[in-house]
Amino acid sequence: MTVAMIKTKAEQGLAADFAAWARDLPGSAAIGKLREEAMAAFERSGLPHRRIEAWKYTDLRAAVKAFAPIATTDDVEVSTAELDAALGRLATIDADRMVFVNGRHRPNLSTAKPQVHLFTLGEVLQTGGSLAGLSDSEAMVALNGALASDGAVIDIHDGTTLAKPILIVMVAAGPMAQLNSLRHVIKLGAGATATVIEAHVVLAGAQASQSNAVLEVAVADAASLTHIMVSLEGSAATRIETVVATLGAGANLKSFQLTVGCGLARNQTFARFAGEKGKLDISGLMLGRGREHIDTTLVIDHAVPGCESRELFKAVLDDAARAVFQGKVIVRPNAQKTDGKQMAKALMLSEACEFDSKPELEIYADDVVCGHGATVAEIDPGMMFYLRSRGIPKDEARAMLIESFAGEALEKIEDAAIRDVLSEIVRNWLVAGHG
Amino acid sequence: MLEIKDLHARIADGGAEILKGITLTVPKGEVHAIMGPNGSGKSTLAYVIAGRADYEVTSGDILWNGASLLGSSPDERAAAGVFLAFQYPMEIPGVSTMTFLRTSVNATRKKRGQKEYSTPEFMKVARAAAAHLDVKDDMLRRALNVGFSGGEKKRMEVLQMALLEPTLCVLDETDSGLDIDAIRIVSEGANKLRGPDKAMLVITHYQRLLNYITPDKVHVLAHGRIQKTGGKELALDLEKTGYAEFSGKAA
Repeated sequence: MTVAMIKTKAEQGLAADFAAWARDLPGSAAIGKLREEAMAAFERSGLPHRRIEAWKYTDLRAAVKAFAPIATTDDVEVSTAELDAALGRLATIDADRMVFVNGRHRPNLSTAKPQVHLFTLGEVLQTGGSLAGLSDSEAMVALNGALASDGAVIDIHDGTTLAKPILIVMVAAGPMAQLNSLRHVIKLGAGATATVIEAHVVLAGAQASQSNAVLEVAVADAASLTHIMVSLEGSAATRIETVVATLGAGANLKSFQLTVGCGLARNQTFARFAGEKGKLDISGLMLGRGREHIDTTLVIDHAVPGCESRELFKAVLDDAARAVFQGKVIVRPNAQKTDGKQMAKALMLSEACEFDSKPELEIYADDVVCGHGATVAEIDPGMMFYLRSRGIPKDEARAMLIESFAGEALEKIEDAAIRDVLSEIVRNWLVAGHG
Repeated sequence: MLEIKDLHARIADGGAEILKGITLTVPKGEVHAIMGPNGSGKSTLAYVIAGRADYEVTSGDILWNGASLLGSSPDERAAAGVFLAFQYPMEIPGVSTMTFLRTSVNATRKKRGQKEYSTPEFMKVARAAAAHLDVKDDMLRRALNVGFSGGEKKRMEVLQMALLEPTLCVLDETDSGLDIDAIRIVSEGANKLRGPDKAMLVITHYQRLLNYITPDKVHVLAHGRIQKTGGKELALDLEKTGYAEFSGKAA
């Protein structure tokens, strides 16, 4: 039974402002119509709340008191130096950049001549292009469809291998809090290979940001995509990101999601195998302290036979931080020879932190290998003693063991240069905790 | 000089007493062996010297060069020259052996007021020491002790011992699980570290290791106390008679 719920203040504000906001959003009247439908879909369900099983641990209805306005003007000055400072070590990665500030593309901060032409969603919509599935049954995807202001549209042709990664940077800047709704599309043609890095950053001095991003990924037959997401937004930010991925036959998708502290983060991935012999690895690391809340939710749909999925998520939690891991694996009746493995591990550094792990296996085929596991641990006193007996002081030994715990997840990143950058980001987070 | 004076220790938080009044002196330049049956308190003694928090000293003292070790943390003891070669070295996944060694050596050098090594300097020092112990470059790149064989782990312990330049070495069952070739390599490594300023305590269940590391004295530990002390020939006697003589409850 669906209980009609009274609209929250945040929902009421959104409904009141939508019409005015929509006038400033890109796209034809037809796109405007799709936006209205998406908004209507969002209003029917409202903000997800704890009585919806998939949102049991992350109650947006309770957490989001108000939505900030969407950015209608694009007048916040941002220099490359400020951007690089916010990116930190990520700025050292040799990549083609596509930068979005407060939900809008900034050509002056982006690579002028990238290795392949990179479209923006704004361009695509303004030139009459449409996007299938702009509205969706997922409330937050519907809301993104209603408000999507821009995004990266990356279309890699059949057989093309990108020489270097594409770095999509989402920046919150300026003195006003804003709600950013970016929607990116990555399409890899048959046999194509690419690495795409997404970075969420907040400029120094910027207000608490709200972000509700969507990334659509389509990896065609025998194509291979490495996707890296890094969130460096800090404890004042609220971010929802939904990745919707489809894999063709023999396609390979490796995704790594690093959330370095966030007031409230929900990284949700819906991945579906559409062709046989696909391979998917979604792994990541959630680092939280203070009262931060980081939720990773996965739904892996083995719709066809012979595919392999791997998930390894780790959380390092201090103070009263909380991490959530929900991993659902569906194996459809004909998806024989499915091989799915899932693992979630948390390292608890305080008494008050919390880790909620909820694996769900829905298996309808009989010839499959599927497994899941979860562990929660504290710093191992035996390992601590071993390191300290070798002259390593307590804080340093502790940091080494936390790094060692995180290292198992980071090892999933195959590119050594990118792995080193992310390892250093993790190390800096650890050091900051002792500052 | 290592002086252990009427040392009593129990498992922390009011657990069973394991060391029941150990008195022992190892002058500088000497190697003493501690032998004894399983459960006699040999490993506990090693851990208590190194400062493991799982045990608490209820009375007595441990002095190294005249200063008590008891108030110091394990890392402070390491800086003071104490080194424990573990019976079961810990596996630390995700930390490369080379990084661990450099962190360990530099932290210790810093506390001793010595100059820290730069990374290239340290790599040179570590590789040279590793070569003597048949520790390959590949092992230095791997995560510390992860997937190492028993022999590799013990060689790694001796390598750490060589690099940290301790003055008091405690070898806890360093021979356990090793074949003769591995024992020979490990013992040669340990013998190189003998010196007029150094003291060594070799803990072992079997006499075998003492064929390679010749002790100045042998102590028999049973029921938490030293039951007998003699020269190196005592180890050979024990090999013949076993520990039956000490198996009864001590008076």
